[in-house]
Parts: sequence; C-alpha cells; structure tokens
Amino acid sequence: MAAPTAPRPAVTDEAHAEQHAGFVRYGLFERVLHWFVALNFIYLLLSGFALAYPRMAWLYPLLGGGQTARVAHPIVGVVLTVGVLVMLVLWMGQSTFSRRDVEWAKKLPTYAKTGHTDLDTGKYNAGQKGYFWAMILLTVGLLVTGIPLWFPDLLDSSGVLRAMRLVHHVLFLAFLAAFIIHVYLSSVAFPGTMSAMTTGRVSRAWAARHHPRWFREREAAQRAAGEPIATPDGEDVGRRSDDSR
Amino acid sequence: MADDLGLRVRRRSATPGGDTNIRRDGVEVAKIVDIDLCIGCKACEVACKEWNDLPAEETWNFGSYQSHQDLTPTTWDLMRFKEVDLDDGGLAWLIKKDSCLHCEEPGCLAACPAPGAIVQYENGIVDFDSSKCIGCQYCVAGCPFDIPRFDEETQKVYKCTMCVDRVSNGLEPACVKSCPTGSIKFGSKQDMVAYGHEKVAKLVDRGFADATLYDPEGVGGLHMMYVVPRGDMLADYDLPEDPQVPGTFFQALSGLRKLGSAATWAGMLGVGLLFLRTGRFRPPPEDEAVAEAYALDDERTVGPPPDDSAGAAGTAGTNPYDPPPPDDGGEGRTR
Repeated sequence: MAAPTAPRPAVTDEAHAEQHAGFVRYGLFERVLHWFVALNFIYLLLSGFALAYPRMAWLYPLLGGGQTARVAHPIVGVVLTVGVLVMLVLWMGQSTFSRRDVEWAKKLPTYAKTGHTDLDTGKYNAGQKGYFWAMILLTVGLLVTGIPLWFPDLLDSSGVLRAMRLVHHVLFLAFLAAFIIHVYLSSVAFPGTMSAMTTGRVSRAWAARHHPRWFREREAAQRAAGEPIATPDGEDVGRRSDDSR
Repeated sequence: MADDLGLRVRRRSATPGGDTNIRRDGVEVAKIVDIDLCIGCKACEVACKEWNDLPAEETWNFGSYQSHQDLTPTTWDLMRFKEVDLDDGGLAWLIKKDSCLHCEEPGCLAACPAPGAIVQYENGIVDFDSSKCIGCQYCVAGCPFDIPRFDEETQKVYKCTMCVDRVSNGLEPACVKSCPTGSIKFGSKQDMVAYGHEKVAKLVDRGFADATLYDPEGVGGLHMMYVVPRGDMLADYDLPEDPQVPGTFFQALSGLRKLGSAATWAGMLGVGLLFLRTGRFRPPPEDEAVAEAYALDDERTVGPPPDDSAGAAGTAGTNPYDPPPPDDGGEGRTR
C-alpha cells in the first residue's frame, strides 16, 4: 500500500465524490423498482400484522383504519406482485444458479460467521440468488393464497379458506424472516452495501472484496471503454466506504 | 338493569385475553323454535324487518312458499320451506326459521380480526358492531350455519342481533312477540332447554321417535335452539349433525401467531446480538482481492487519509483496512 505522500485533497462534497466513485451496481430504474416494491412490502407487512395479530390491531389507525387496511392490503399485494414480476424479468438472468453456487452453499457456515468466503463470486453470491428466488416464490405463493381470502365467494368453501389463511400466514412468516436477514445484511452488516440501492454505486474495494469476479469484469469493461479509473477528486473510494453509515 | 340482563360483554373479537369476566350472575337467555308448532306464517320475518327497520326486498315466485331465496344483509330472518319425498311414498314439508343461532362458542367471533366488531354478551347474545367491522368476511367462513351476509355497498357484514336492544329493555325479541302459535319462545337458557326436553318427550309419545332438541355440543350449545320432530332429517333442514367450531384451525392459527411473534422478536434480537458480537463485517487487511483493488489504484497517486484520528478516538484511523493498533483491544476485526 502506498505510503503517505501528501495530504489527501479536501473533499468538499462527499456525496458528489461518492456518486462518481466506484462501479454502478444498480441503474436508476432498478433502484426505483426496488424501493417501489419495498414501500409496498412495508405496507403489506404492517397491514398483515394488524390483520393477523390481534395484539397488533393498534396499527390499523396508522394504515388508514381497519377497513381501509383490509381493502388496501390485497390491492397493494397485486401492485407488489407486478413490481416483483418486473424484477423477475430484470434480474432472473443474473440470478440463475451455477456450479459455483454449490461451492458457496457449502461455505455458508463460514460466510455466516465471518461475512466472507474465499470464492471467486460474481455479481451475486448464492445467498443473494437464493433470496431473489425465495422472494419470487413467496410473492407468487402469497398472491395465490391471498386471492381466495380476498374474494371468499370464489371458492365458497370455508375449509379451503381456513387452509388458505394458514398457508398465507406461514408464507408471510417466511417472507418476514428473509426480509429481516435482507435488511440486516444490506445495511449494518456489510459497510458500503447500502449505497448500491441509494446512489446505485459501490466502491471498488467493496466490489473486489465481496464480488471479485464481478469486480474484474467491471474493471475490464471500464478499461476497454478507456474510462479513467481514478475518481474525480482522486480519492481512494475503497477507503471511505466503511464510514458512510 | 342492563347488568341483570347479562349485557356485560363476555367476549370481544380480536381482543387478547378472551373471556375476562369473573362474575357469572347474569341470566343466559335463549330462544327455542318449536318446529312442531310452526305454521310457516312468516310473521317473525315481518316483525324482524319492522323492529330492525330493514327495507323490504323485492322477490318473485320461485315455486316455493318461501318468501325470499336466501338471507341477505337486510334479511336476518327467513322461513325456509322444503319438500322432501319420503321412502314410503309420503311427503315431508319441512319449515325452519333460519336466523343466527347465537352459539355459545361463536365461530364468527373467533375468526374475526377486527377488535370489537363481534361481541358476545354475558347473556349469550352474539352481536356485530358494524362500526368496527372491516368487511374481511372471515366470520362468514367461520360460521358453521352460514348466517352472516356481506353487504357490497357498505362493505360490512350483518346478521340477527336477537333484538339485543329489546332484550336490554326487558322485552322479548320481535320474532318471539309476533309468533301467533307460540312456536318461538324466549326465556332463560335453562328454562328453554327444559321446555325442549319436555316437548321432545311428548313428540316421542306421539310417534316421532326421532324427535330431538337441536342444541349441538360442538359449538358449546345454542342460544337459539330447535325442537325438531323429524330428528332423522337434520340434513334436510340444513342443520349440520355435528357442527364444530374449527378448533384445529384456531389452534393452528394461535400457534402460528405465537410462532410468528416469537420468531419476529427472536429474529430482531438475534440480528441485534449478532451485530453487537461481530459488528460490521470489515475486511481483514490481508485480503487479496482488496489488495488487488489497491494495486490497480496504484496507477495513480493515492494518498491515504491524513492523520485525523482526533475525530475517531480509539479507532484505527479512518481506514478500515488498516490493521488495528496493538492496544485496540480487538475492536478492529482480524480474521
């Protein structure tokens, strides 16, 4: 590592510098889509809690009242499904499992403990791919079990409705578990990850650390395009990523 | 007065705690419909509409003595007529007053996710508070007798209140008052059960060997019972032989709620503890990939941050990839 030679140029606008540093991981459309689905999900999560847990009925006023929440919940669910289907089209190619993912799955315990594997991971590791497909399947499952609850006359069988209510609940819990892990890993656990979904960019060091193969691809692409690797203010973005909390 | 009539709330939908009353001094009320005495005049239907100020609904002749085809959000009481051919060539003309049976263990109340939308009073009456109803129709699926009806316009569910407003003032329900033959009786549950048994015994004497008092155990008993002369024809009366509050379902649901609460708290606590234990997953300095990134960076001149440890006392400067100083006490991560 280079020895200190000169004081680092003063960063007058950190946000600006960050925006132009590192690699683009998600484009504007992808980020808008992500937060669109996220907002819908949060409404569904809260209204689902209120509807399924009597102790959470205090949430109703926050959601526009009980009747509003009941009417809105399935509609928001359909809107979310549309968003998730666009995600499916957009990201399914990058999320296809390969042989490398088996290796990653074997190292899951190490990953859980240290937050790292020494594998040559591409844009997504097997865990991220797994989360993606779990989201797709759970969304479809929640929609399928939700429609009979939405239109009880459709099946006209209280036995089936009760079964649907239970399955819907189980899928909801699975979704919630995945969601907690997703939020934890992408926010506090891995410094420098969150910016992928805010500014759309990640630092070079972050990419090299977590997604080395993707890092090399991006690097090669940038070189091929003749883009300068240096950031506008010459700052080493890899070093800053951890402090952007 | 109201307390004497058992109008304290015994149970309230979607409210933790269940039955919280400790006193049991209220009278349990009940109606009993003696089908043997019913002449199918529909006076109870009219009285119900009148007392509850419910609009008349247009109907047509669909080949039955029945006035309307089904209960609706504004028709809470309906005389059902059914003609059944018997094996011996005879005909049974079955007439049943169809309205809420006010179960002791109401499936509707158990299924309801809106706090207080369904209440059960101490006296056994099960009532809907439409101001709190959210229109999810879980009660419709929860009812073993197919009674509650959803109104598309108001998006809420309605059913017979057993004239709780009359009962609270010491009067019998409107249908009882209107019944010209005394087929519908009202009183304490105890008295009505006694009447039922007495009447069943008389019917058996008269040759109705299968006569029965319809007060099924599966729903904890009813606050509107039937004396059924043809007890062997319950299915033809659309009276389930053994109606049940879907106990397994509610146990499963309650188990899921407990699991869900526990899992949510455990998940959030676990994540919190994990964070406190491991902190953020900072890359170790020897990480090759990072080194590679730095090597590439070396093509330009990169100055490490100036010594600004004043702003980050006790940490290893602002560069997370620098190894922690020896006296760091393990705050930096080195794996």
